Parts: sequence; C-alpha cells; structure tokens
Amino acid sequence: MNKDKIFKLAKGFRGRAKNCIRIARERVEKALQYSYRDRRNKKRDMRSLWIERINAGARLHGVNYGNFMHGLMKENIHLNRKVLSELSMHEPYSFKALVDISRKSFPGNKVPKKEGLSTIL
Amino acid sequence: MASSMCAAALSPSSAAAILSLPNRGLTLALLHRKARPFSFSVDRSSTSPAPLLSAPPLVSPSTLFSRKWKLSAAPEESPEEPEEPSVPEPVEAQIAAAATAKGEDVFAVVMIGSRQYIVFPGRFIYTQRLKGANVDDKIILNKVLLVGTRTKTYIGQPVVTNAAVHAVVEEQGLDKKVIVFKFKKKKNYRRTIGHRQPRTRIRITGITGYEDFPFETLPEMVPA
Repeated sequence: MNKDKIFKLAKGFRGRAKNCIRIARERVEKALQYSYRDRRNKKRDMRSLWIERINAGARLHGVNYGNFMHGLMKENIHLNRKVLSELSMHEPYSFKALVDISRKSFPGNKVPKKEGLSTIL
Repeated sequence: MASSMCAAALSPSSAAAILSLPNRGLTLALLHRKARPFSFSVDRSSTSPAPLLSAPPLVSPSTLFSRKWKLSAAPEESPEEPEEPSVPEPVEAQIAAAATAKGEDVFAVVMIGSRQYIVFPGRFIYTQRLKGANVDDKIILNKVLLVGTRTKTYIGQPVVTNAAVHAVVEEQGLDKKVIVFKFKKKKNYRRTIGHRQPRTRIRITGITGYEDFPFETLPEMVPA
C-alpha cells in the first residue's frame, strides 16, 4: 500500500504513529491483523453477550438459561439467540410468554416459595 | 451486524434531499426510532415520554433521509397538518402519530438466508444477496418465526403457518470494503485483499396471514 493509504488508515492513532510513515506502517499492519482476527472474534463475543442477556431476562422470571433453551428446543421453537436477546430487552411480555412456554415444557426450575408478607402480595 | 447498519444507509437519489420538518417533536420521535434500529416503536413495558425527550436535539442526516423514504414509500398517507406553533401537541399524541404513521404496531421475526431478522413494516433491512431478484421486485418471505402485535404474540413452532411478510427489493449493492490482511511475521509474507460482500436492501411493506394462528395474549401495557 502506498503512503497515502497508510496514513488514511492510521487516523486516530497515538503519537507519531499517525504522522510518521515508518511507525505508521507498523501500526497499521498490526491494526489490520487485529481486525482480521477480531472479525472472527466478534461473532463469538456477540453470541456470549446474547447468552448473558437471555440468562438475565429469563432469571427475572425464575428460569435459568440452560433450562430455558432446553424448553425451547423441546417445543420446536427455532428463534436464535440474537432475536431472543432483543426480545428480552425490548419486548418483555413476549419474552415472558416464551419463558412460560419453556417452563411448561421443561419445568427444571422450581418457582421459589414466597414466605411471609410476599405471599399476600 | 448487517442489519444494524440500516440506519446509516443512504441512496444516491436521497442524497440531495432538502427537507423542512413540520415539528420538532415528531423529529425527536423519529430520531428515537432510528437511533436504535432494534428498538420497537412503542415499548410495551413503559411508554414514558422521558426517553424521547432526552434524544439529542441535533437532526442527523440519516434521520432526514429516512423521513424522505417514508414520504416516498407511502404517498397515499395524508401529509401532516401544519400545527400552530403556539400550541404544542401533547407528547403522547406525537408518539402515537409517529407510531401509526410508520408501521402498524406489528413486528415479525423472519428468517432469510439462515439469518433471523426482527422486521417492521415500513423499515428496510440488509440481507445477503438474493440471486435472481431485481430492483422493485415484490418478495414474500415465508419463514416467519414469530409475529407480535400490541396485545398478542404468535409464537411459531417452528413457523407461524400461513404468515407472510411482504417486501420490495430496493437495491442490490455491495457492502463497505473490508481489507483482508494476511501477515506472517519474520517471513516476509504480506497479502492485502479487498472484499465487498454483495448484499440486498429490502423494504418491508406488510405482515399478513398470522391471524388464525394460536396466540398468547399479553397483559395490558401500563404507561409509566
């Protein structure tokens, strides 16, 4: 790549790496290697983020992630983790309906017994 | 994710659009919608006006162009009446106007090319290149996994039978260029390859055919 392209890719770099060609070339090459690697890592990271969110959303309704997904698989619901995490964030009632379906199909988690004042509430 | 880039997409025809926005509240509502492409028009849990009013007052170009798409895609809708500047509309009316003007409170989860997208009528999504589809082709998407309205959710097992999402192919283009750089250290091996993935932009026009499917009724939304 010629120098102009290197400097264009080196925008925002720290110190001499954005202005001096010898240093910029090294840093840009490193940046491109990282982006190659991270295009593959992004898929892994996003999936684990979705799983975290589904876990959090399902635990609000008393079901953990493993049992929730097992129940969905049993019920032949093929929504993927990306969509499930979006539903858990923005469509809470639909997500609760999914959790209920899953719990009915696979009741792995016992609903915790409420004691004292919370039984009345 | 390809669909998350849809808010920033510009087509050459809309690049020269000059728009006058009738009222600022509606712009804020549209900003709120466009700023978070996966967020739904009205949040079921709480319809508080607070998040809308906290949107930044600057109008981004993508919002202007998306507004132009709304006007050109649905010419049969009546234009907004000019409001008196002295009497501002209540915020709930503005939210309702924005919600009904673009999409009728339905959403669907559709599977295209083994990827799933959450889809609203009136918005566009980017998918993998659909071979054999030309511009302005009407498309019917059959793999609808979930349909949600304000009060009901139709959860497919695995598919909502007879549900169809109607869409129009808008553009068959290429994604932004990605530089694939292969490097082995101390061996003098460097390869630079540029790559543009072909993709198709489709605009969703409607969601039909789900009414006869068994549904879950959702509890009433309580606005905060």
